[in-house]
Amino acid sequence: MAAAAGETKILFKIALRNLWASLVRSLFVGGVVALGAFLLVFCVAMVGTINRGMSVSIQNSLGGQLQVYNASSEDKLELYGGMSGESRLVPIEDFAAIKAVLEDVPNVRQVVPMGIDQAMVATGNAVDIALERLRNDVRRLEAGERGPELERSYAAHLGHVRRMVSLLAQELSQARAIADLGGREAKERQQEWEDLTRANTDEFWAGFDRARYERLEFLENKVAKLSLDAAFTFLRYVGTDPQAFFRAFPLAEIAEGEMIPPGRRGILVGKQYAEEYLKLKNARRLDQIKEARDRWRRTIARDEELQRWVKENAIGTREILLQLDPLRAEEVTGLLRTGLGAPAGEDLDALLQRLFQTTDADFDRKYRLFYEVIAPRVRLYSINVGDTITIKAPSKSGYFNAVNVQVYGFIKFKDIERSGIAGMMSVMDLMSFRDLYGFLTREKAAEIAQLKESVQVQELTREDAEAALFGGAEAAPAGGVPDPAPARQSAIDETALLEGVKSGVRPEELAARVYSQEEIERGVVLNAALILEDPGKLSETLAAVQKASDDAKLGLAVLSWKKASGIVGNFVETLQVVIAVGMVIIFLVALVIVNNAIGMAVLQRVKEIGTLRAIGAQRRFVLAMLLVEAMTLGIVFGLLGTGFGVAVLSALRSAGGIPASNDFTYFLFAGPALLPSLSALDTVWSLAVVFVVSVLSGFYPAVLAMRVTPVEAMASEE
Amino acid sequence: MAIVSVKNVSKDYQLGKTVVPALRGVSLDIEPGEFLSIAGPSGSGKTTLLNLIGCVDTATSGTVMVGGKDTRSLSERQLTDLRLHTIGFIFQSFNLVQVLSVFQNVEFPLLLQGKLTAREREARVMALLEAVGIGTYRKHRPSELSGGQRQRVAVARALVSRPALVLADEPTANLDSQTGATIIDLMKEMNQRDGTTFIFSTHDPRVMSHANAVVRIADGQIVAREELNGQAAAGGK
Repeated sequence: MAAAAGETKILFKIALRNLWASLVRSLFVGGVVALGAFLLVFCVAMVGTINRGMSVSIQNSLGGQLQVYNASSEDKLELYGGMSGESRLVPIEDFAAIKAVLEDVPNVRQVVPMGIDQAMVATGNAVDIALERLRNDVRRLEAGERGPELERSYAAHLGHVRRMVSLLAQELSQARAIADLGGREAKERQQEWEDLTRANTDEFWAGFDRARYERLEFLENKVAKLSLDAAFTFLRYVGTDPQAFFRAFPLAEIAEGEMIPPGRRGILVGKQYAEEYLKLKNARRLDQIKEARDRWRRTIARDEELQRWVKENAIGTREILLQLDPLRAEEVTGLLRTGLGAPAGEDLDALLQRLFQTTDADFDRKYRLFYEVIAPRVRLYSINVGDTITIKAPSKSGYFNAVNVQVYGFIKFKDIERSGIAGMMSVMDLMSFRDLYGFLTREKAAEIAQLKESVQVQELTREDAEAALFGGAEAAPAGGVPDPAPARQSAIDETALLEGVKSGVRPEELAARVYSQEEIERGVVLNAALILEDPGKLSETLAAVQKASDDAKLGLAVLSWKKASGIVGNFVETLQVVIAVGMVIIFLVALVIVNNAIGMAVLQRVKEIGTLRAIGAQRRFVLAMLLVEAMTLGIVFGLLGTGFGVAVLSALRSAGGIPASNDFTYFLFAGPALLPSLSALDTVWSLAVVFVVSVLSGFYPAVLAMRVTPVEAMASEE
Repeated sequence: MAIVSVKNVSKDYQLGKTVVPALRGVSLDIEPGEFLSIAGPSGSGKTTLLNLIGCVDTATSGTVMVGGKDTRSLSERQLTDLRLHTIGFIFQSFNLVQVLSVFQNVEFPLLLQGKLTAREREARVMALLEAVGIGTYRKHRPSELSGGQRQRVAVARALVSRPALVLADEPTANLDSQTGATIIDLMKEMNQRDGTTFIFSTHDPRVMSHANAVVRIADGQIVAREELNGQAAAGGK
């Protein structure tokens, strides 16, 4: 034992002193090792953190740990949509049946029904909204109602509509100045212009009280269509059992409003979606400028995008002008004039332009002014809590289905609310989803049966109008139907749809109806998320779920959350592969460099090694000596590189991390910034890799050294 | 019994496609206690013969017996052990381990042998260092010593394991003649003190004159063996 100790000791002594003796080479080799270790640690931390972040994001917002869908589907399930839009899935006919089976699989805590799709939402436009308000007043007046409050409301709404007509006329006259009026549609344009001109005359308004419905219809049919801006946007939603959804996904939060009551139809609109697509454009742009300035330290003076937003805001004041009725317009004018210190003569349009024409110096002040003066007097979002909105989507048979659902609130996903991937998602009840997707709910089936039995003219007309509206304009019956009553009905429906009022059969009943849990669950879904007790046992449970499905002949395909997240999940996998390949290349290069450096050291020490062999050192002594040199470099500089990497990571974290610069990175980082961290296990692994690579790179030279014969010692010095 | 017995040994070197014979049928017996010089011009085969005797190289044909063992029958490992325990080496260019001190260089074979305790090693190394006259330099690195001092360290290292045989290939070639003479004197002193067999090669006649016997070699063959005085024969028989 003492013998081996003495030999080992001298072996280490020679090895270490040799490293010290050729310090420059040692530092060079060590530097390569340290750099490799640093890069490894850094990349492992980045990918690891992104992976953890994304896994938190996906698993806790939509994915769960496992997803099941009908195995006979044409596409693979992709929770976040694929390259060609939503995946086409064959429905699972009876969710209750699969739930019963899957909930019995060990480690499965919850099965959440889902149907993800995109749909169009009618957001309405300002003219429609104003006309609808006016129509309400007219209806009351025509019904004989009277009173100062009603009179004032009627006058204000009438004034608002008149103001809108004059704004539209101004706009259209500008458009006509640059438009080609000799074209194919010239006649139609001419007619539009004449209609608008008529509506913009004093005679038209002076006679309004005498023929309120007639004038109102003229405005609705002829004028409102000239202002068809922002009528629809696309909405991505998941049809689910909202209660189950919130139990399953801890990141889901009500951002505003309230939860859909159990068993009710309703929708929670994605908060980020609302910000991006439903918010008044000027307000949205102000928010974006504010964020760019506050968060990213961008300045209007230097940033072209911010300049563009400012310009767009200054030009795009029409939406606000249209929304303000004369009373409010008056208030806003006064407040803005004071707030901006503008000359007395300036009109509202000029004042708004003055407000939006911001610089870095006055931005914060004007931002506050906007939110104090304008925001409370306009519809800041085109959909608000309590609204009933019309959502339509093409069913499998090709024609459009539409459902009306009440907006109970806005939903956000904690920490990743800003992500376009998670934050865009709205949550809708399963019944509405089934109606929309084209699956028959019991009401729908009963309704159709009833229709078939007693063919009611009015109902049919209504259905036709709906089909016409959603199926294509050429089929619009309004002009061709001789009986004026249905025509009028359809016109009202159009407005109603855009405005988001119920158009289906017995809408109030539908909205008020409370479905039993059985009704909710005994029906069609597209996929289901499985929440596991222990997410660590994912692959075992996946196999068990697949087996349970096969045994019960459910015909389900089972995917891990990562696979189910499609391109999003692939992104991280791709990133991992790219980084792994990069690291392999870096380490191969390091291996070659270190190998060469140690190899050269061996060549220079052939005589010394030969001498050691001649005076009685065994080959293993030489091998061990060289390996000790490589290992020492590996450990010392591997630790240094790792330590440096850990220090850089912690410095990055204390500096606030790597900020998420866009929606996608928000999602990847599971929050506004990536705080890269290295788990203890990853640290150990990285060190082990560095160590193994340095030993490997020292191995070949060590074998060469081992083969040095003692004869080399005899060679005389040159 | 001869400590070294070389019988009809040939050694060929492959030089590209041609075979260069270095030794051609050499036979030589060396008795314990001899102080033998192998002499001859460059390329005559002196070094090759020493390498074969020193078990650092193997013969193409013939047998080399060292300490009664046929070196051909030994594995690489056993040859290394034989070198460690039976043979000491002194090199033309000293071949000290640069990163070790004088003391550590001399101690090194003892560490490989692993038979002695640290205290015993220290006693043995220091005694030898004193004997070769460099006891005060024990902590110096080889690079801090003169050529003669370095060769003294090498002599100490060769003797520290008390080998039966010490081989020295041109031990004085890198030294001036006066220093060379003192090294040879030192070797001879050790030879006489412990009875250790010394075999050294040289082409310097003045160095040769210190030997008991000179084996002259030319073109890979032994041309003569001259006994210089009776001492070797007396010591050997």
